[in-house]
Amino acid sequence: MRRAAAALLILAFLAAAMANFLAPYPYSEQFRDLPDASASRSHLLGTDELGRDRFSRLLYGARLSLLMAPAAALLSVGLAILIALAGVVAGPWWEHGTRAVANLFLSMPWIFLLLVARSLMPLNTAPAAVGVITFALLGLLGWAEPSRVMVAAATRYLRSDFALMAQASGCGRLRLAVVHLVPNLVPLAMAQFLIATPTFLLAEANLALLGLGVPEPLPSWGSLLRELESLGAISANVWTLAPAVLLLLVVSCFHLAVSSDKCVL
Amino acid sequence: MHNERRRSLLVALLQHAGWLIFTLLGGGLISSALVRHAPGFGADERMLNPLLSRNSIQVLAGRQAQQSNVATYYVGYLRRLFHGDLGVSVSVGRPVKDLLAERIGVSLRTASAGLALAWAMALAMVVVLEIVRRRSVLGLWCDRAFTTVTGALLCLPIAVLAIGCFYFGGTPPLALAAILFARVFRYMSSVVRQAAGASHVLTAHAMGESALRIAGWHVIRPVLPELAALAGVSISLMAGALIPVEALCDSPGVGQLVWEAALARDLPVVVNITLLITALTVVANFFADAFRTMEEA
Repeated sequence: MRRAAAALLILAFLAAAMANFLAPYPYSEQFRDLPDASASRSHLLGTDELGRDRFSRLLYGARLSLLMAPAAALLSVGLAILIALAGVVAGPWWEHGTRAVANLFLSMPWIFLLLVARSLMPLNTAPAAVGVITFALLGLLGWAEPSRVMVAAATRYLRSDFALMAQASGCGRLRLAVVHLVPNLVPLAMAQFLIATPTFLLAEANLALLGLGVPEPLPSWGSLLRELESLGAISANVWTLAPAVLLLLVVSCFHLAVSSDKCVL
Repeated sequence: MHNERRRSLLVALLQHAGWLIFTLLGGGLISSALVRHAPGFGADERMLNPLLSRNSIQVLAGRQAQQSNVATYYVGYLRRLFHGDLGVSVSVGRPVKDLLAERIGVSLRTASAGLALAWAMALAMVVVLEIVRRRSVLGLWCDRAFTTVTGALLCLPIAVLAIGCFYFGGTPPLALAAILFARVFRYMSSVVRQAAGASHVLTAHAMGESALRIAGWHVIRPVLPELAALAGVSISLMAGALIPVEALCDSPGVGQLVWEAALARDLPVVVNITLLITALTVVANFFADAFRTMEEA
């Protein structure tokens, strides 16, 4: 089951990376005589209300969502590792301070923080820049949860035998952090990465459904879900559900992959 | 011994209270800094009025200059906050307090009904599944089916769940309950399952006690501290889910107000309500932690 999940994820990432070659049309090309068309040989998933090919938009949307969400996860996990290593170098006061700030961030409902951050963005920002900034915000605001785990792990490792032995043989704190602790933190960071990526995918989808995600014409899985706001469109063409089904599949695969004791990816 | 336990309980409660104050002050600082640095902050239309004298304009400019320092602004912000002044909405030009007063009732009704429904459903399902699971193969299959369904619900954006619920004729409290149910059920089920495997529960089964008594007295009661923590977390989850539910189901509550304010770049409304919601979740978690500390003591 876990191997199947990993295989599906790899397939989805490959499709996203090769969207330029696999998509039959550009994501913004309009077929003005074919708005809301049902599935056919020329348009596999039909077209949206502006006559754009839904399959092409799904592939290009996958490229944005599946490349940017892991990038955001990498950012938040990277920040968490830096905070944990800084704690090793700086001492317990840093650890207590970062724990307090992380708790403060975790007390604030994330969607409110995102709305605040998105409200600060100028209205004339280009769609691609909005996409990048949205995921960057997700990455920057999502540091608190992985950092708690990483700081706790770094503190635990600092008290372990190998760290004490390294310190006793004259190893400096910086060297201890970089050479001895980082390799031990990598598996944990990988697990945190696999947890954060689907969380950011879902967060972007929620923002997009509220009209605060990636703007038109650039597609993301979240912005494609906006078609679900019209009941008429769903009943006329069930393929409008394709982004939701794909998102459900990919997020489930991430959950399955992370639920294993040994990471399969 | 009794005094020592009481003292440690008091210390733990004081730590929670200290954390509550720190969070509120920290949240206030972040909120005031965001409002202070928001685009358009400090722009006063009156300064463009040609009828005002140079002295009047200088007085207005002096007032603006006083607010340019974040620390000074933060102190003033806190003072206004303690007097119940949450600022004025940029988009509708009305006090945030009035806007909140108009909508808080709707949100409270939605939130309390949604939370109660989600908890009742989750608790009932967990207890029934725990009783049935031990008795038949069908129980095991029910358990797997529930795990799969709740897992799928967790893999969908909460906004999609809200839309789905709305299309099937659900009200905002029902949509909120559907969103919270999966999260509450998964955690509750895992905690209860762990408790159900404890040796005293097996002894109770061997002694022939009734399934309902075992579930209520030997399984649920020992996990009350964990359930209290879950109650605190579910307030935070509820606050997060309220925005998509009210925005997409067109319910005129605080969630919809925040959403409209975010679309209109109305930062005073978004930031102040965020601070209030943070305070609400922190207070809820404080009570949950205090209850847990007392139960554990």
